[in-house]
Amino acid sequence: MANHTPAVVMDNGTGYSKLGFAGNDSPSFVFPTAIATKGPTGGAGGSGSGRPAVANKPTFLTGGAGGHLSGKRGTEDLDFFIGDEALTAASGPGYGLHYPIRHGQIENWDHMERFWSNSMFKYLRVEPEDHHFLLTEPPLNPPENRENTAEIMFESFNCAGLYIAVQAVLALAASWTSSKVQDRSLTGTVIDSGEGVTHVIPVAEGYVIGSSIKSIPIAGRDITYFVQSMLRDRGEPDSSLKTAERIKEEHCYVSPDIVKEFARFDREPADRFKAFDARQPGGRTVTVDVGYERFLAPEIFFNPEIYSSDFLTPLPNIVDTTIQTSPIDVRRGLYKNIVLSGGSTLYKDFGRRLQRDIRHLVDERIKLSEAKAGNAAKSGGLDVQVITHKRQRHGPWFGGSLLGQTPEFKSYCHTKAEYEEIGPSIVRRFALLGGPGSS
Amino acid sequence: MPAYHSIFLDEPNQQLIGNFALLPLRTRTRGPAQTLPALPADISELDVDPSSESYDPLDEVLSLFRANTFFRNFEIKGPADRVLIYGILFVSEALSKIRPGMSRREAEKSVFNVSLDTNFAIPGDAGFPLNQAYEPPRDRNEAEALRQYIMQMRQELAVRLLNRVYADPSGQPSKWWLSFQKRKFMGKQL
Ligand SMILES: Nc1ncnc2c1ncn2[C@@H]1O[C@H](COP(=O)(O)OP(=O)(O)OP(=O)(O)O)[C@@H](O)[C@H]1O
Ligand SMILES: [Mg+2]
Repeated sequence: MANHTPAVVMDNGTGYSKLGFAGNDSPSFVFPTAIATKGPTGGAGGSGSGRPAVANKPTFLTGGAGGHLSGKRGTEDLDFFIGDEALTAASGPGYGLHYPIRHGQIENWDHMERFWSNSMFKYLRVEPEDHHFLLTEPPLNPPENRENTAEIMFESFNCAGLYIAVQAVLALAASWTSSKVQDRSLTGTVIDSGEGVTHVIPVAEGYVIGSSIKSIPIAGRDITYFVQSMLRDRGEPDSSLKTAERIKEEHCYVSPDIVKEFARFDREPADRFKAFDARQPGGRTVTVDVGYERFLAPEIFFNPEIYSSDFLTPLPNIVDTTIQTSPIDVRRGLYKNIVLSGGSTLYKDFGRRLQRDIRHLVDERIKLSEAKAGNAAKSGGLDVQVITHKRQRHGPWFGGSLLGQTPEFKSYCHTKAEYEEIGPSIVRRFALLGGPGSS
Repeated sequence: MPAYHSIFLDEPNQQLIGNFALLPLRTRTRGPAQTLPALPADISELDVDPSSESYDPLDEVLSLFRANTFFRNFEIKGPADRVLIYGILFVSEALSKIRPGMSRREAEKSVFNVSLDTNFAIPGDAGFPLNQAYEPPRDRNEAEALRQYIMQMRQELAVRLLNRVYADPSGQPSKWWLSFQKRKFMGKQL
């Protein structure tokens, strides 16, 4: 049976989960990675269980052989909601809201198991024993986390097969849809920026160069906060996070130069300033003016100083350093294929500005070294290319959909039988999907 | 790309007092500043191109003000940057006198009250907030000339700032400009 059903692709991010079937163009469901359970809300960060941190090993798995989910729990455990329904439930009394994933990693395994359970049975409506699953993980995910995931997938859900892929590698595969990408290469630098973190990940022939990965503490949530602070400075009638986020997603863009952009607002006010209608709880609508945050908010990637006092390195410099600290023989390939992924790379002209700034850094360095070596040593320059493409928004999910539909995918998965024979450590390694030699 | 510097850093033959440059200004106020030609009739004061012969350090102050007030760090690269810093801090002070809803006439009153006041601190005075970065004048003559020059800056900036804040035909002050009242370039104020 599982040989004829499409693979299920689940990309669970800090902010949003993307769920669907391999072979499709877009996920069937995209909703917050949030769960509402009976009782109080989790800690201030909006994540965790509200209890003190527990050991990494999921406690519900330590007692005896795993069984089916409902067999292990009292019925009260089924009283929960996920995704948008969780937000709704938690806005009333009785339910607390939790975000089981933090900085890309699963932190609350009990909540995550219930989140997956609802994802499969209530939303995707699949029988896990009939499907292979492609799950994603952040770079540098500890192997214990993979094992925990496998235990839940095989023991609680009986899934037919499992493959866990690194989000960045999937994001590279997703960019194959761009016309700028000529060879279906799994070499490139992925900039994955979502809600909680921004990672810069060099990948050579499908393998992440772990020692050179950099992450920066600026991502979607920070940009939302920045928009909110500007709305507050002006005393706009609604400066809620929700409104700030909508304004961010609908109106923000990256400018080439902020001083020139201010001047443009002075010159063309009717065109540059916008208005946003924010619905209020009572049904009333208020108008929020939208101004300089349009270009200043995403500017914090390029000029973090305007937002943060302790983190000051611009994203283009981080990308350049990431590549410079990677092995010399892959650098050319890493500069040539800088691939964007994740919701926070969607700002208009984000890729263009990034490419310009990285080129500038590279050209400066080449000029310097040529000057040192004398004119004899002209290097011929270095090709810097940032790839903006149509599947960027859900890059890791789409890459998973692409690879999960290939004929060889199922043979790359570990099966329930293999898991039972070898144990959880089996998921420490997976053969490379989409790598050289595969179709 | 950190905070913006002055394009007048490379200006030849700068007249200095301490390490502050007395750069030519486009102004009709009296004082030691050399005067630049008035703007051609078809150029608005709100949008003077830096390549214009009339472009002065005060145009620069007003065009960099909104961007630079987002920055706390600024590495001073020369005497013209000190003119820029002083100008930005003065604009912050003048801006803080304008309340939402004030008519232009009321705003002029409270801003000119500050810009025409002769009692302000110059480099070397105890009350000057940037004495670590500004050298004091060498003698009383220099101190007087510097004071006169800064006075010209203040008066001219006050007028140009009001033109920007009241650019809208509605007669209301721009809420966009007023939203910068609390920002402090380099964390300082005059
Ligand atoms: N059009 C848009 N422009 C700018 N930002 C957007 C846009 N659409 C979504 N976002 C932002 O992208 C973020 C979500 O992106 P994504 O789904 O890639 O994150 P995630 O995978 O949940 O989180 P992470 O990768 O940090 O674990 C949110 O901050 C959202 O506001
Ligand atoms: Mg993500």
